[in-house]
Amino acid sequence: MSLSAYVPIIALFALAAAFALFSVGVSQIVGPKRYNRAKLEAYECGIEPSPQPVGGGRFPIKFYLTAMLFIIFDIEIIFLYPWAVTFDALGLFGFVEMILFITTVFIAYAYVWRRGGLEWD
Amino acid sequence: MNDLKLPAIDYAALAPMLILFGVACLGVLVEAAVPRARRGLVQVPLGLLGLVAALVFVIAEAGTRKRTAGEAIAIDGPALFLQGAIIVLGVVALLLIAERSLEPGGPFVAQPARPVGSEADRSQAAGEGGATEAYPLVMFALAGMLLFVAANDLLTMFVALEVFSLPLYLLCALARRRRLLSQEAALKYFLLGAYASAFFLFGIALIYGYAGAITFSRIHQAVTAGTGSGVLLFAGLALLAIGLLFKAAAAPFHVWTPDVYQGAPTPITSLMAACTKTAAFGALLRVLYVGFPGATWDFRPIIGVIAILTMLVGAVLAVTQTDMKRLLAYSSIANAGYLLVGVLAMTPEGVSSTLFYLVAYGFTVIAAFAVVTLVRDADGEATHLSRWAGLGRRSPLFAGVFTFLLLAFAGIPLTSGFTSKFAVFGAAFGGGQVWLVVAGVVTSMLLAFPYLRVVVMMWLSEPGESTPSVSVPGAFTSAALVIGVLVTLLLGVLPGPLLDLTTRAGDFVR
Amino acid sequence: MTPAAVLAATPMSTGEMWVFIPLGILALVGALGMVAARNAVHSALFLVLTMLCLGVFYIVQSGPFLGVAQIIVYTGAIMMLFLFVLMLVGRDASDSLIETLRGQRVAAILLGVGFAGLVCVGLGRALAGTTAKGLAEANSAHGGNVQGLASLLFTRYVFAFEVTSALLITAAVGAMLLAHIERRKGERPTQPEQMRARFAPGNYPAPKAGPGVYATSDSVATAGLLPDGTLAARSIPEILPPRELTSSETAPKGTDR
Repeated sequence: MSLSAYVPIIALFALAAAFALFSVGVSQIVGPKRYNRAKLEAYECGIEPSPQPVGGGRFPIKFYLTAMLFIIFDIEIIFLYPWAVTFDALGLFGFVEMILFITTVFIAYAYVWRRGGLEWD
Repeated sequence: MNDLKLPAIDYAALAPMLILFGVACLGVLVEAAVPRARRGLVQVPLGLLGLVAALVFVIAEAGTRKRTAGEAIAIDGPALFLQGAIIVLGVVALLLIAERSLEPGGPFVAQPARPVGSEADRSQAAGEGGATEAYPLVMFALAGMLLFVAANDLLTMFVALEVFSLPLYLLCALARRRRLLSQEAALKYFLLGAYASAFFLFGIALIYGYAGAITFSRIHQAVTAGTGSGVLLFAGLALLAIGLLFKAAAAPFHVWTPDVYQGAPTPITSLMAACTKTAAFGALLRVLYVGFPGATWDFRPIIGVIAILTMLVGAVLAVTQTDMKRLLAYSSIANAGYLLVGVLAMTPEGVSSTLFYLVAYGFTVIAAFAVVTLVRDADGEATHLSRWAGLGRRSPLFAGVFTFLLLAFAGIPLTSGFTSKFAVFGAAFGGGQVWLVVAGVVTSMLLAFPYLRVVVMMWLSEPGESTPSVSVPGAFTSAALVIGVLVTLLLGVLPGPLLDLTTRAGDFVR
Repeated sequence: MTPAAVLAATPMSTGEMWVFIPLGILALVGALGMVAARNAVHSALFLVLTMLCLGVFYIVQSGPFLGVAQIIVYTGAIMMLFLFVLMLVGRDASDSLIETLRGQRVAAILLGVGFAGLVCVGLGRALAGTTAKGLAEANSAHGGNVQGLASLLFTRYVFAFEVTSALLITAAVGAMLLAHIERRKGERPTQPEQMRARFAPGNYPAPKAGPGVYATSDSVATAGLLPDGTLAARSIPEILPPRELTSSETAPKGTDR
């Protein structure tokens, strides 16, 4: 495959990277430097960083449930894309197939919703 | 852009799978819509009705031999027979799963997400109704198994493998008692199963590289033509076989079996021992007989060695077990070895004897696990072997039933164990695999020892303080037990009809 | 056959080669880093690197849909799930380095390297004379990569595609079963109950005081002062250990310079 289609994207990436490097580098060279301890703190405005919470910052398991549900519907969306692209060629049977697929995955949604999986109390 | 067409789909031939998937989806909707107290009342009849309806369609389609849905699915003799077998075994296992009279709330925990040992966990152990999500999960697993034995290309087979594995991983984690053990079993099964799936997938990739296709007929053409790299073929087939032999619990891919069989809720263990084994061997038959018969001379020695290793590992390690469920797990491993002997005959008799063995073993093992659910004390099932000592004095009926089942495992005449072993050994002998038959007979004698030890212990020891009582089974468990024992006896005394059926069902379509 | 010779023997456009060489090295670094990193979060980030590189490879090999799906689903969604799981366990929890089975680590490394060698040598020899066919023909047959995929997915493999939804339902049910504790009726306190509990003796009904803001410190972990001069324990979050500033922290910061 010719990669010429990606040349503009690569050029944009290169441009962005070059600009970032340039800005950081130039400010290092030409910027005035008057260091004191306040400048070296995490928040120069004076707010002190808090210490580590007890338990090392563990998340509640609810986040996991949400992430898992997100993945399920993410995968469903991935299947929607080729269907949408070939919609004209597929015709009615493709539409029925996709409706069937979406309905079946929607059963999972109905279950999660009714059983309180989407509530955050 | 050229217009695409839907391939011809024979909905009647696919009906068993469609029905079970539909019932599973309905089951999930029931979980969403029906109040908690009534879910079990809806789920059990729904599941049983669905299975019966699927079985009706399997029987109605008995003469069908065709490929459908764009050649992705083959409905032929072995597929229909195995689908029927999985459905019937599934009904019997579902009866065990539905039993609620042995333990208040049933064999499953009410809310698996509650941390083990917490206040809420202790209160739910006392008898809160178990999670009814188990029923739709079982239906998904059974539907996946039906697809697994009928898949005509490797991609469909892989999807089916995942569809029936994922619910089983979950079901293993739902035990009401000894929850940590159950969760550990589920995690082990999941991790090792995912690993085996990865091997299977890698194998598909290599076979695709070899044959340029994943349909069994095209793979067969490529193997027969002999073009292409042998490395790709053998590495691909080896990786595919690892994936399948893992599910079939053949050594050295068996290490998960004892832990998972022990940790999982006993009804689920019976489902895995009967149905998963049937599905795994169904798929193995199809891969070897439809896709790779041209490579028989290359894979037979290697899988033969695996078969002997499996029989040996199962027989030898069964002797050392002190837990009834682990003992049955090692017995199930050894049985995978005998099944492999039948498979490796690579003759039509090989197919029919393997089909017969799967059915005979399935019923016996479900009945055996049904007895295990009955022997219990205040802490749930008493599975330690020492607890079974003297059981014959305390409850002669169930000890007698269990003795009969153990004799069937050992292959004593007048039980299905004898006829099925005779069938696979005969097929292997006919296929010229004398070495496998010799190994099979020797390990059978070895394997009889642990069974007889249990029998001796049950009848010749005095019941002690710690001998648990045998609960009176509810209607469901009684039905499962009666069916299992009757079939074990019937296939031992009168194996003719089923043998005929397996002979007629032995033809694959390619 | 050396890798360089393999590269030279394979027909590959220069652009492809210049993408492959640096990203191939990066992908390997990511994979090794994932195994070797002590910190689980670093492991996950190394895995992201490898997956991103693989996504680019798919795109370079004329499979843009697969490449984008790899980046969206794997690096996006699944890696996010990984990180969540790591955060559930606690970011500081690292593997204990005590081997439960003696020699397990050495055996695992030996077997892993052996298996990799076997696969690489085997595949290398098997594919030595093969010329890459590429996806150009398959992609042009239906007017594009995604169209080609769709033409297989919705016709030939339609049953497998529909059955995938069963997997998704099982995943949702499993996630709910294992991660969601359902509050039953009666377990959730009602509004009047909450109000009664709020004004019950022993509870403090008003909002809690904020943390202290002083000339020397305004951390959320610095407690506020009560009128009598004692520290208000209620003014800092329970999960943060209360903190006294060290003398070096309270020393003048030299901003006047």
